[in-house]
Amino acid sequence: MTPFEVKDCALLIRMSGLPPAMNLRELRDRIASCGENVLYHHFCETTLRPTFDDPDYRNDFAVWSKLYLGDRVLAERLGILDPYSMGGTEELRAATLEIIDDRLGELTMVPWVRPGDEFLFKEATTVVFDTGERIHAPKELAPAIRRMTNGSVYYHFLEALRRPPVGKDDFSSWILEEGEKYSPYLVSLGSIDIQFHSLDHLRKELVRALMQSGGET
Amino acid sequence: MSPILAAYEAIVGSSVVTHLRRLGEKLSGLRVVHVNSTREGGGVAEILEWMAPLMRNVGVDASWEVIQGNTRFFEITKAIHNGLQGKAVDLPKKDWRIYQDVNEENVQRLRPLLEEADIVFIHDPQPAHLLKLCPNRKGKWVWRAHIDISRPFRPVWKVLRTIVDKFDASIFSMAEFAQPLPHPQFLVPPSIDPLSEKNRELDPAELESVRSEFGIDPERPLLVQISRFDRFKDPIGVIQACRLVRKVIPVQLVLAGGGAADDPEGKAVLEDVMEAAEGAPDIHVILLPSGAHKTINALQRAADIVLQKSTREGFGLTVTEGLWKGKPVIGGDVGGIRLQVTNYHTGFLVNTPEGAAHRIRYLLHHRERMKEIGEIGREFVRENFLLSRHLRDYLALMLALRSGRGERILFV
Repeated sequence: MTPFEVKDCALLIRMSGLPPAMNLRELRDRIASCGENVLYHHFCETTLRPTFDDPDYRNDFAVWSKLYLGDRVLAERLGILDPYSMGGTEELRAATLEIIDDRLGELTMVPWVRPGDEFLFKEATTVVFDTGERIHAPKELAPAIRRMTNGSVYYHFLEALRRPPVGKDDFSSWILEEGEKYSPYLVSLGSIDIQFHSLDHLRKELVRALMQSGGET
Repeated sequence: MSPILAAYEAIVGSSVVTHLRRLGEKLSGLRVVHVNSTREGGGVAEILEWMAPLMRNVGVDASWEVIQGNTRFFEITKAIHNGLQGKAVDLPKKDWRIYQDVNEENVQRLRPLLEEADIVFIHDPQPAHLLKLCPNRKGKWVWRAHIDISRPFRPVWKVLRTIVDKFDASIFSMAEFAQPLPHPQFLVPPSIDPLSEKNRELDPAELESVRSEFGIDPERPLLVQISRFDRFKDPIGVIQACRLVRKVIPVQLVLAGGGAADDPEGKAVLEDVMEAAEGAPDIHVILLPSGAHKTINALQRAADIVLQKSTREGFGLTVTEGLWKGKPVIGGDVGGIRLQVTNYHTGFLVNTPEGAAHRIRYLLHHRERMKEIGEIGREFVRENFLLSRHLRDYLALMLALRSGRGERILFV
């Protein structure tokens, strides 16, 4: 079995250059025209961003709708969007716009925010590097993941879903090299609901799931 | 003593430290210069005190230079600072000329180092004019803005913008602080050093000694605000809040801060604060000498609640320090405090002395909640706001600048 190469990553966030959105219509228009990296950042890279908050929703549009627009209906609809289940960023964009357009159609006035609470569009570069660490067998995965940084967990379990083979995390792809031999591990990894975890919780959940499947403690 | 990366393993984990070394190896020998305007006092100097040595510790050839200036220069740069934070200030052309002249005096000494460097980080506006004075620069120049310039006094920003827009990139602590500029604007929140005198663990005797020194009663609740004597920190509002609480709970308040070498306005503010505290023996106004880090640490640790009731604020590292010490923080609903303080989670955001008084009373009546909030805050700081994350962001930024590419994934 080829050893699993543990990577780590750092998220380098920057302003996108798009004007801020002061109201829901501006948010809609910016989402319609922004680059894929902007959309990806606000949906997928939020867990890797330094924060003091553990918000209800993992995407920034839902959080902003709840906290600043004060539109809990919209927040709930946007919050359930799963970017990893979509065929690609354009599908995600279309789904997001559909929800916002529906909401704009329901409202009698366009919700807006006070100055200072605008939605600020960002994007990021993920700087990826080899940590030099190697995992040699699936049973070593659980203890290795326990030692991993948040960056490693993000890169191998979340960011991997966007890379070929699309929709497959790196741990599962590696285990699959051995065919069905380690299928309990695959079932465990596939059972984790990634929408509701901070990276720290996700690490614990991965360790728990793998140990239940026979991994080392 | 220079900090050593290995010493942080016990706090952040060995993987984090090992990975910083791996990133550093990719930048081995890179010549990096940080430039600011004071060696001590204020958050920027505190960051540079560890950042330059730790960069060297991972293999980067980093140095830290400080520009020298006279009192007039620092009065002008303080006015620029205030103007960038939105205060209407009068800065005639002759003041900008003095600003440029002092930069020119400094460049005589710094030019060879700056022009040869691979990356130069210019911290805040004071040394920003150096870029124009180094026409043969070889490396990338980055302007690091530590303050909130989201709503500047426009006449000040219009002039400074013509200086900073020539940089190759800029760094802001938060997206909310940034201004549109014609180059990439990166976002890097600052951090604290958990092993510094200001943040390391203290034993009970050290706490007791500081309590005795300032006449603090260990039996009664203590509120502490640590900050420069600056109007944007609203020390008078804190005293008003304390007086409101004291009608029902006999709290003590410590307002303590040092004067920074580049802040001549502090003396006048201190006098106003002393006047507001007159006749209240339980309100302690303490002007700390520079380097009183252990005293600050002890006061924050002795506190029941840490306050930072600013009306404008940069990131607000005193908030991070308070959270690291397991204290709930009541902070002004501004700047970086908004990022760090979430109601009922890490503390409370307030807008008035009355609001602060209300939340102080709430916390003092809910001791279990206070404890939970303190524990949550400490773990958030460990994960996101210690110098290890900060150093990693800078290393990543330097790798991205060196690659010159802006794609979503950069393999190094």
